[in-house]
Amino acid sequence: MPKIEVPENIFFSLVGKRMTDSELVDIFPVAKAELDGHDEANHVIKIELNDTNRPDLWSAAGVARALKCYESGEIPYYDFFSTKDDERDSEGRMVIDDESAIGIRDYSIGFAARGKTVDDELLVNLIQSQEKLCTNFGRKRKTIAMGIYRSELIKYPVHYAAVDPDKTRFVPLGMDKELSLREICSEHPKGREYGHIVSSFPRFPYLYDDNGDTLSFPPVINSARIGAVEVGDSDFFIEVSGPILDDLLLAVSILACDMADMGFEILPVKVRFAKDTPYGREITVPYYFQKPMATPLELVHKKLGLDLTADECIEALKKMGVYAIADDGMIYADVPEYRNDYLHAVDIVEDIMIGHGLASFEPVMPEDFTIGRLSPVEEFSRKVKGILIGLGFQEMMYNYLGSKREYIDNMHVSGDDAVFIANPMSENYEVIRPSVLPCLLESESVSGHAVYPHSIFEIGKVTVKDAEDNSGTKTKNSLGLFSSDAAIGYNDAASYINTLMYFLRKEYTLSEVKDDPRFIPGRAAYIVYNGKIAGIFGETHPQVLESWGCSMPSIMAELDLDILMN
Amino acid sequence: MDIDVKNLHPLEVKLLRHVSQGEDITPERIINELGYKVGQCNQAFSWLMAKGLLEEVSRTKRTLYEITETGETQAAEGMPVERIFNFLSEKGPHAMPDIAVSLNLEKSDVGSAFGLLSSKGVAKLNDERKAEIISNELPEEVVLQHELLQKALKAHSLDEASLSDAEKKAISSLAKKRGAASSPFRIVEREDAVYKLTESGKEAKEAVLAANITGEEFGILTPQMIQTGAWKNGTFRPYGINAPTSRLIPGRSNAYSAYLQWVKDKLIALGFEEFDGPLVENEFWNGDALFMPQFHSARDIHDVYYVKEPRHAKEIEEPWLSQVAATHENGWNTGSRGWGYTFDHEFTRRQVLRSQGTVLSAHQLTKAKVPGKYFGVVRCFRYDQVDATHGADFYQTEGIVLGNDVNLRNLLGLLKMFAEEIAGAEEVKYVPGYFPFTEPSIEVHIKHPVLGWFELGGSGIFRPEVTEPLGIDVPVLAWGLGIDRMALMHLGLNDLRELFTPDIESVRTRRGN
Repeated sequence: MPKIEVPENIFFSLVGKRMTDSELVDIFPVAKAELDGHDEANHVIKIELNDTNRPDLWSAAGVARALKCYESGEIPYYDFFSTKDDERDSEGRMVIDDESAIGIRDYSIGFAARGKTVDDELLVNLIQSQEKLCTNFGRKRKTIAMGIYRSELIKYPVHYAAVDPDKTRFVPLGMDKELSLREICSEHPKGREYGHIVSSFPRFPYLYDDNGDTLSFPPVINSARIGAVEVGDSDFFIEVSGPILDDLLLAVSILACDMADMGFEILPVKVRFAKDTPYGREITVPYYFQKPMATPLELVHKKLGLDLTADECIEALKKMGVYAIADDGMIYADVPEYRNDYLHAVDIVEDIMIGHGLASFEPVMPEDFTIGRLSPVEEFSRKVKGILIGLGFQEMMYNYLGSKREYIDNMHVSGDDAVFIANPMSENYEVIRPSVLPCLLESESVSGHAVYPHSIFEIGKVTVKDAEDNSGTKTKNSLGLFSSDAAIGYNDAASYINTLMYFLRKEYTLSEVKDDPRFIPGRAAYIVYNGKIAGIFGETHPQVLESWGCSMPSIMAELDLDILMN
Repeated sequence: MDIDVKNLHPLEVKLLRHVSQGEDITPERIINELGYKVGQCNQAFSWLMAKGLLEEVSRTKRTLYEITETGETQAAEGMPVERIFNFLSEKGPHAMPDIAVSLNLEKSDVGSAFGLLSSKGVAKLNDERKAEIISNELPEEVVLQHELLQKALKAHSLDEASLSDAEKKAISSLAKKRGAASSPFRIVEREDAVYKLTESGKEAKEAVLAANITGEEFGILTPQMIQTGAWKNGTFRPYGINAPTSRLIPGRSNAYSAYLQWVKDKLIALGFEEFDGPLVENEFWNGDALFMPQFHSARDIHDVYYVKEPRHAKEIEEPWLSQVAATHENGWNTGSRGWGYTFDHEFTRRQVLRSQGTVLSAHQLTKAKVPGKYFGVVRCFRYDQVDATHGADFYQTEGIVLGNDVNLRNLLGLLKMFAEEIAGAEEVKYVPGYFPFTEPSIEVHIKHPVLGWFELGGSGIFRPEVTEPLGIDVPVLAWGLGIDRMALMHLGLNDLRELFTPDIESVRTRRGN
């Protein structure tokens, strides 16, 4: 979930009034936001945004816009958007994408802004919005990278091309010497962080103006001159690059709206693509590319369980910043410029729900009659548990992930059937348990202080490899039981099994265990049920006890409940 | 009075009945008069003192001279000095070594006895250097010693206070404090306490008498008493009901599992059927089927555990695969525009550890009945640093409701019911939420009597992009409850890791609220 920190001043001036924390807590849900904290000393409000499909909300301006709209019911109007048929004047500002970048990082688009001198707070806030977009929405700059430049130094048109990484050199931001693009990837901190996105290509993306002055090496680093925005600047060029055009257009729209809300004048820039796009070879950015979405009024009623009128739906959508009209049982919604999250009619329904107010929906119980039922394995497990508890056993519960040392080495087994994790976070959690027994032994190893005998069991899941299954693995419902005491042996284990099986009404026979390093040879048996091996029990081998650091003799058993249940 | 005399032990009862207020009560007396053994006597005194029925009046230090075995022999056979006197008187002068041999005495004893006799002018060494008696009277001191020994033989010990100065002097050479085995007397220091009945003691005695408690009541009921009917000839001594109990270690269910069982039973009672499934899943069911785009940030390598081997499932079941893939790409025929990317058919087979309980809800859709209610309490795995609030694996409680006419208001009703029935909520609040697989999405916050306001769970109506590719054309309400917090509170814990502790003692003593 994205979290943002916004300066009180900027936030409240965008909202248009100051609000108390409790007012914020009450209103934030309409933007699926939560007040994450309020640093009163530094005048910073911390906000967590829950909707990962609404990048427009990940900035002070975005949240403020949603709140303002909800309270006033007035949809903000942005006059700087071009459409296919209605272009704004780009006044000679232009970005030209070269075909050399196709397949590497296809597009670069941009717009300019002016009219407001940035101070420290505003600059930090702008950079934060840019970072949130590129990190969370742009998958760590993979699909969206953004640069902000000093517009007055640029001679348009700006050129975007893929160039020779060794021959192209410039002074990157944060350094005072010229480096090649390839050197930046290894020597500049941002190069080490983001260079991998393009470093496998023979040519690297490069942005420069008509004088040949460098703007940046997208998606890695700006130049130290045109790309060094500072407090006091008031003319900007904002450029966004990436492989998915709609994502870039949305990112630009979000940033343009945010900057407009902050008082900037947005200046359109014409972009010439190097290939065909759904919007043609040339568009003027910011560009309204979203398509309208419609929902039948009936769907609203069916989903929400409340027969709202078309007018009520339109009013509700207005509070969400969505302009809509009704016609013949349909609601037609124009998606706001800064949003692209309407995938399906149900997305409009949710906005109607929020706009209308969740509190106005009276809860009612579903009327359908259904029969409640435990799963067969839960029902059987409860029977087994009851018997074991009667026999004096304590039920345990364990984690299912553990280390190779615990699950395999300490048990003196090969571990060939164990399912390992490819990307473990630590070696303490690197394998799914193939058996309940190591868990029970871990208990024994940490419970020397507990009064003996230690009679414990767990019914839970274990996972082993199984070539026949579609997944190549099999999750089994398993019973493990364990008992340790100064005088305990095979006969005790056999008696427990016999008693358990008697009360479960399971006829079984025993067969000799030939070679299982976990048990003392000649003192372990397989439980054969229905012609299948349904379990094993016997005296724990002292080599296993020694590995676990246990010094009390013990018996243990493990039974496959899936086999016993059938 | 706050002593219930029925709870008095027979030793106490008999003592109380035997003594009266104003009397001196001493252990000697009780031992002599009631025939108590020393140990019984001590118990009776300490119990009665503890109850405030007896109190100590005085405590005196005494020095006692106890006769030893040597002393007893000397009382019967005579002290060495007496025997030498008699021997020499009867047999005439003898050399010292001869005396020692004849009387079987140590030479040193003979020497010191002769020294005593000669110093009192009773004996001397003659010219032949033989010991010779020169008086027919034993020294007065020896006579006194003889008498003391005889007295002590009867009384066992002599109280220093009862001895005259001459006797004290006489006995001093016969007595030792330590290593007294070869001396006739052992010096013993003793404290004698005298007790008396207190006012409460007097009341207790009267109550014992009034209740006709004799101290002869039955203790343990034996099989013989039942067989012979002997129990009919007396009454049973009542026991102290507040005596400390011994610790028993029963077989028990795990307190956390008992809590989960309780939750399951609640859901069964609300008409839900339980589902279950394997721990190893694939990207298809873990994310794709839930309409999470394959590039979704929660599907990163840093959020999900991948299975090392086998890396991929052999196949994904049809028609689900084709329908879900088409839905991601262009919406298929769900009315959605889809995510607009090329579905990766290899990635979808990649095997992972189930990271969310909703996976089983998706599986259930392919075999669900309409109307239907299903739930699972399922183990999930997430790539997280293990700490007090994050486990390597943990339980999620999830479910779905299918019905032709189920809607948002039913969802709110369901959440309200969970909040009240399972969480004991005092107030319920709904706020819009976000989950990739539901639209609309609702979070339910509750005011818990102990925990205050917190998020109980997330829910929503499954997106058509989730249900339709899996063959369901009715609305499906989906919900998940975060019951871990309530489980911790129920068990009085504040660390999630404790729920799965291997520590036997901790699990044995754990109990729910």
